[in-house]
Amino acid sequence: MDRPNATQQAHLRSGLALLVPALLFGFLVAAQWQTQLERTELAVRYNAPLTEAARSLQSEQNTLKAQLADLRRQLDTIQANASTQTGVTRELQARIDDLKARAGLTPVSGDGVVIQLDDAKQTSASVKDLDKSICHATDLTDIVNAAWRGGAQAVAINEERIVGTSSVYCVGSTIMVNGTLMSPPFRIVAIGRQDQLLGAFQDPAQLRDIKQRGEVHGLGFRVSRATGLQAPEYSGALNVRAAQPR
Amino acid sequence: MVALLLGVLAVSQFRSQDVYSRSLQLETPASLTSLIATLADKNSALRDEIFDLRLRVAAAGASVSTGLFSLTEGERQLAQIRVFAAQDAVAGPGISVMLDGPFDEKAMSDLVNELRNAGAEAIAINDRRVGPRSWFAPGPAGGIALDGNRLGGPWAVHAIGSSDVLYVAITRTGGIVGQFELIYRSTRFKVSKEPSLDLPPLR
Repeated sequence: MDRPNATQQAHLRSGLALLVPALLFGFLVAAQWQTQLERTELAVRYNAPLTEAARSLQSEQNTLKAQLADLRRQLDTIQANASTQTGVTRELQARIDDLKARAGLTPVSGDGVVIQLDDAKQTSASVKDLDKSICHATDLTDIVNAAWRGGAQAVAINEERIVGTSSVYCVGSTIMVNGTLMSPPFRIVAIGRQDQLLGAFQDPAQLRDIKQRGEVHGLGFRVSRATGLQAPEYSGALNVRAAQPR
Repeated sequence: MVALLLGVLAVSQFRSQDVYSRSLQLETPASLTSLIATLADKNSALRDEIFDLRLRVAAAGASVSTGLFSLTEGERQLAQIRVFAAQDAVAGPGISVMLDGPFDEKAMSDLVNELRNAGAEAIAINDRRVGPRSWFAPGPAGGIALDGNRLGGPWAVHAIGSSDVLYVAITRTGGIVGQFELIYRSTRFKVSKEPSLDLPPLR
């Protein structure tokens, strides 16, 4: 039997040198694929019923909000009829109407600005950069803060009116406003004096982080004048239980 | 090494796509559980208010013909909305968050948002009430401005609501105070349940 010459031995060594990483890579790919399969199975087992429960609760919330709105209308009607009876009740009704308007409990229409906020259309593979190219709950709270600072009379995010007890809540990658689940794009309506509102949003010191992420990472952010805007009334619970007037 | 790097890159890529997805199905079971708890709380508050409002509508309907309705129901409604709109001084149980050290207006806005999410009915910072249209800005000399009024540190944030719920929401592991402690390392944070707090009206 012929012994391999020096060239053949060199080929064999280089072949083995490539085989090891190739096997390792194959193993990693297979392990990743297997893990992904297990994740999928786990996701099906636990996430499917949990997702269904979340959707069911959201649907129930929509029904409850509709019932609440109907009851509020009924009470308003009874009260409006009663307010015709005496001067005292008329004065009381006027105070209630004024306060409801100031608290965000009545719909508002008028001119103002619309702010569009959306995830970048193209994102980087890097998790750090990805974080900068998507919308966060803090972006929405910063925008709402800028709107109030700019003198807004009414603010709504995707048809959810912002009131004194409103919160923007983020769980995982899902955002919730007034208990309503939302996902991008976000349309924020701010009704008020347009020049003042635009001035607040165009101030370079305001929303620096959002503007920079828009320029560098493609985060969608646009502010524009708009007329005939609508902000619906707040439809959630007033939740006045623990706080008692002094 | 090359294969190892490729393997790591492949895993990173998978995770990036996972984070990017905004579909509920791709949330973790832990996130979904938290989401469900929040939704259930909101729905429970709605059901309580519907129950209360049904009784009020029935009582109002029955008494409107007597002419006695409007004052009783109207005054009750007015009182409720005055609290909701931060027009009245209010008292009740809740929590106190004391902050002593460097802090900024964005963090304060986040804290208020977190308290509201946990069900705070009324909030005041250094005895200045936070209203429905309140806004935060950097104050002069490193302070915080609320509705244009400078609030110098240390800050006392008082929130009226269920003290147990508010306390747990703020102090839970990974919660907002835990995050603040990591970011503002030289700032002292003290959260306590309060049996009774007095908050002024919005000025």
